[in-house]
Amino acid sequence: MTGSSTSQVLLVLPVGIPWVLAAVLALLDGRRRWVGLLAAAGLGASFVSLVWLAFVVLREGPIATVAGGWPENVGISLRADALGVVFALVCIGIILVSLLYELPLGVRWRAFPALVLLVAAGLTGLFLTGDTFNFYVFFEISMTASFVLTGYREEDYQVRGAFVFAVVNLLGSVLFLIGIAALYSITGSLDMRVIAERTDVLEPSSVIAIAALIFAAFCLKLGLFPFHFWLPAVYVGSHAPVAAILSGALANIGSYGLLRFGGGILPRELEFGSTAVLVLGTASIIYGALHAISRRDTSEVMAYSAIGQVGYVLLALGVGGPTGYAAAVLYSVVNSLNKGVVFLTAGLRGPLVGGAFAVGAFSIAGVPPAVGFVGKIAVFKAAIAEDSLPVSLALVALIFLGGALSFLYSFQVYQRRFMKPGSEGKPSPRATRLLMVALAALVILLGLWPEALIYLSEAAADVLVEGAG
Amino acid sequence: MILYSALVFAAVFASGTFLLLQRDLTRVVVGIILVSNSAVLFIISAGLTRGVAPIYPREGAGPVSDPLVQAMALTALVIGFGVAALLLAMVYRLYVTHHTVDAEEIADYEMRQAEALERADDPEGEEVPAEEQDAEPREEAGAREGSEAR
Repeated sequence: MTGSSTSQVLLVLPVGIPWVLAAVLALLDGRRRWVGLLAAAGLGASFVSLVWLAFVVLREGPIATVAGGWPENVGISLRADALGVVFALVCIGIILVSLLYELPLGVRWRAFPALVLLVAAGLTGLFLTGDTFNFYVFFEISMTASFVLTGYREEDYQVRGAFVFAVVNLLGSVLFLIGIAALYSITGSLDMRVIAERTDVLEPSSVIAIAALIFAAFCLKLGLFPFHFWLPAVYVGSHAPVAAILSGALANIGSYGLLRFGGGILPRELEFGSTAVLVLGTASIIYGALHAISRRDTSEVMAYSAIGQVGYVLLALGVGGPTGYAAAVLYSVVNSLNKGVVFLTAGLRGPLVGGAFAVGAFSIAGVPPAVGFVGKIAVFKAAIAEDSLPVSLALVALIFLGGALSFLYSFQVYQRRFMKPGSEGKPSPRATRLLMVALAALVILLGLWPEALIYLSEAAADVLVEGAG
Repeated sequence: MILYSALVFAAVFASGTFLLLQRDLTRVVVGIILVSNSAVLFIISAGLTRGVAPIYPREGAGPVSDPLVQAMALTALVIGFGVAALLLAMVYRLYVTHHTVDAEEIADYEMRQAEALERADDPEGEEVPAEEQDAEPREEAGAREGSEAR
């Protein structure tokens, strides 16, 4: 499991760079141009080291290291496998784009770059840790930074949104913490692999309650149907890059947590509760899509669409197995990209913006040249792989229905936002618009050449299946 | 012992949840503090073993009480403290801008604001207020010029 010393340093870099830089930048005035550029450079360095790490992990298998040279199970351990690296890459990518988006528009808060870096540090730490309690700590780092970020631009509306967001998510964190303590109590360990081994031989009845608690905690983060009530209020009030960070990067904590804890640590309990997971996913898809159709405001539509889109991740998770897990990973990645494009372009004006938004909307609806199609196909495959025929048929029908509904609301919102005559204001800076065009081009490119994404998601699913077997 | 700690945990968690459902935002913050402290209690009771203090080098033989839960409880306490401070700052900010900490009054205020915004967005209703707004400054400017002339 342990690689050479270079790869161990490589493992610390993606977490360490943004963390240290955030601490330094917190003392500086983030409204200055060079501070923002420094933050972007640091995030870029973290992203590059993650790409390198991904190559090493995919070629040589998982890497583990213990910080400070402590013996294993004593110090803070970091462990990178394909699943964590894929999620970390996507999240850091979206955060980097959001930060670059904000720089030409002008940063309004002195703490903005530092907070964005802290979110990034917490997220990478969470995806690259092998210890459940460290998972909680990193998760709180990124959540607390995002509570503050939600209030960006200091309008009252956003402070209330931030308060609701903070309270609801803290409740989720507490539930998760209680779940970890309970797991520790019955297994005597905090290490994910050890917990997975020991829960396997325990009575299912003692583990199922803990599994339900952890499931509820992650669904709250993800904003899934019965836990969604906080989500629209927060996304509607947020500034475009903040909404993109929340929806494109932070929401992935939920999908990653469900995959890691459900698929990797407690697979037996996940299988046991698969009916409930499928029902919740279905409810989420239909509820989110119907609400999205009935709303007018762009960010409100996209907030409800986010509720619907995570339903697909849950469906794939409920089906389970290599196909289901791969589909869940792929769909989370695709959904992050889509939400990044849509939320960011919705805040801009001027030429080319409408085109980029249309690409994002196409992708959400799952229309072929865009990457959303690849995601939909993967969930579709997972639905066909489901064992019982009636369930499989119902899922296929649901995916078609969900696709049709998302097509409807995507274009409704496109019409309202970009085809309304006389709504032209001052166009946004060219650099920001070109950035969005590049992101939209990436969405199409990955749709035309999906092999890399499919390979990554299958490698990530293999990690879970091997851990379970 | 386990029963007592379970009872205490349940009582703290329940009162925290009750406070979370209140309209007064300061009570909500107190509720969150109670709930997160109940989690700390739960962590401690998850590793409730008797033994000597886990300080190295060990004095005397015998079992050592679990040090890991103590470390976890300490971390959770620190995080809870920081977050409580942040939440209180947010409530203060809301109080400064709205002069109330009642969740429903703040929501009503926002509803009125959103309606006002929607009216301004409406293409049909837009023209009349726009003209009025245009007209007023002109009159004012005229009045000011007049007063200056005088």
